[in-house]
Amino acid sequence: MTHLVFPNLGNYTIALASDLSCLGLEAWVSTATSPEAMKLGIEAAPESACLPFKAHLGLFIEAANAGVEYALMVNSIGACRLRYYRYLLEKILKDLGLKIHLFSLGYDGVKPPFIRYFDPDLLPFVKSTVLAFRKIKVIDIIELKTWRTRPLEISPGNTSRVMYECLHELNVSKTSKETMALSRAIPARFSAIPVDKGRNPLKIGLIGEVSVLRDKFLNHNVENILGSLGVEVRNFFLLGAEIRNIFHIELGNKNTRKYLAKLARPYLKYGGGGHALESVAHTIRCAHEGYDGMVHLCPAGCMPEISVRPILRRVSLDMDIPVLQCSFDEHTSSGGVTTRLEAFVDVLLERRKKKSGSEKVQKEA
Amino acid sequence: MRKPRPFSEKAFKIGIPRSFFYYIYPGLWETFFREIGIEPVVSRPSSRKTLELAAFITEAEHCLPNKLFDGHLAEIVDKVDMVFVPRLLSSLKGHISCPKLSTLPDAALAEVARERDVLCVDINENVRPLSKTLLELGRKLSIGKRTVRSAIENAMRAMKDREAELDQRNKAKTKGKRFLIVGHPYTMHDAFFSESILRKLESLNVNIELMSFANNDVPESFIRWCTSNKMYHKLTTISKGEYAGVIQISSFNCGCDSMMIEIFRNILKEKSIPYMVIILDEHTAQAGTDTRLEAFVDSLEWQDDSSSVS
Repeated sequence: MTHLVFPNLGNYTIALASDLSCLGLEAWVSTATSPEAMKLGIEAAPESACLPFKAHLGLFIEAANAGVEYALMVNSIGACRLRYYRYLLEKILKDLGLKIHLFSLGYDGVKPPFIRYFDPDLLPFVKSTVLAFRKIKVIDIIELKTWRTRPLEISPGNTSRVMYECLHELNVSKTSKETMALSRAIPARFSAIPVDKGRNPLKIGLIGEVSVLRDKFLNHNVENILGSLGVEVRNFFLLGAEIRNIFHIELGNKNTRKYLAKLARPYLKYGGGGHALESVAHTIRCAHEGYDGMVHLCPAGCMPEISVRPILRRVSLDMDIPVLQCSFDEHTSSGGVTTRLEAFVDVLLERRKKKSGSEKVQKEA
Repeated sequence: MRKPRPFSEKAFKIGIPRSFFYYIYPGLWETFFREIGIEPVVSRPSSRKTLELAAFITEAEHCLPNKLFDGHLAEIVDKVDMVFVPRLLSSLKGHISCPKLSTLPDAALAEVARERDVLCVDINENVRPLSKTLLELGRKLSIGKRTVRSAIENAMRAMKDREAELDQRNKAKTKGKRFLIVGHPYTMHDAFFSESILRKLESLNVNIELMSFANNDVPESFIRWCTSNKMYHKLTTISKGEYAGVIQISSFNCGCDSMMIEIFRNILKEKSIPYMVIILDEHTAQAGTDTRLEAFVDSLEWQDDSSSVS
């Protein structure tokens, strides 16, 4: 069976992997970069390249060493460095003498070169793509349940266990029928986890750059850390919305680029490339919706995200929503990340106490 | 963004941070504002003081030019009636600017220029030429069209003159083999970045030429960043006979350069032209840079000696 590797997108990798069977390919992927791949990437990449580049490179080298023949990544027409990833990845892989053929997909016509090369039959391709979209929806359901349940669980680790079980079953489901059946069974599985409904978890939104938001290795499993600190998180990189925005599909998309641009306009007139605009817009939205705080994740030196940091600080002050700004590179330690998040959660709990205390005083007055 | 109040009879001062767009369009802005009757106040040349001022207010992970921009802005923001911070989306048709330049006015309004009047105009050569952008700028300040048109003519001429002056000053002092210095205009032409490097090279009797950015007739390539593509074009057209080596002046955390350096290294390797990158940040010590430059120049002399011996 011919294998193909593509950069991991966290849990969404499961959905994307299922779309390859119609091309006669099997995915050689995981939902998080491995430490070995990271090491290979750091050695081979230019020192000042951004973290996602090193992760991509490390993954491709690891795959090439394991005999994988094909690699796939996205094309970009934006202002950030992602545009040059493919050129540099190809060059470095060639210099290392690795024989892995790199394709890129996106903004390259109705029948992109990648699809043309493998030339799938139309019906299986459509079925596969529909299945992938269904799986994306199911992943969103699983994640939402996980984010809601984890801060309430009585025994730590139960939610993660159920999440991984559901994700594993989703991974092996081969038809839309199986996928829909799993989707109907998910709520019951999460309801079965013993929880303490009396807790009132903090609500924190996660915003920032795609790779770091989704790759659990690169972000040191931020969602899990926050969940176990009793926080209900929302990760604002949602693949369904992202794909709809790329193809300008507004149907069923609450977070269209137009809507987000309108929200952010008082603070940011043009998106600075990458997901900078989304970061600002989601912060504003979450402030309106009463979130307790936001955590902004980005690779160190990420051009668009760093340039909107002052804007996020202004939004944070104006709309009274604390924003923790974290940047990640290959030297970031899990201990450091955990400490910062713990401190942030403590601050948010104090704020809540103060707010409810002052409300009580106002009521009595 | 608040609409700027219209220009009044009294001497109205507009602050221009000596950064980014100031170097990309040399001589343009001061002339334009002066010609339409507004006194331009350009911040002082970058220095350690600018950096010290920036250290309190700027974003830690910004590239050095962006940190200096914040310092320049902070220096003038309370000394003028309005500051000029355009939104630079593209300075070369068919290309886009570094994404940080497109968020400059919004970031400025968020922190350093909070609650000040910021005059902003979108500079986007993909959508309209510079002259039309300047017309829009005049309109925002409620200046009569005739005055604005004459100001545009004079400002463009001043920019051409300044570019010619820079090219004259930056070209090699003597004929024969020389070193090419490349870098973004806002690092290379900012003495704070380049002065010590250029003086050191001169003290080593090296014939240097700074790359020109005046020519906008640059073929499009896969590189879409304006200044990076100009550098790419220059490096693809030079030959080993003309240049003994290429030295790039860069800044720590420059996103554009982090990708471009590898591409430039490849081009120059194929041409067998020695290439060195000096990456500056606020902690860079003069001694370290001097040592590296001496070593680079020495190693090329040994290369020449050994090839002439054999």
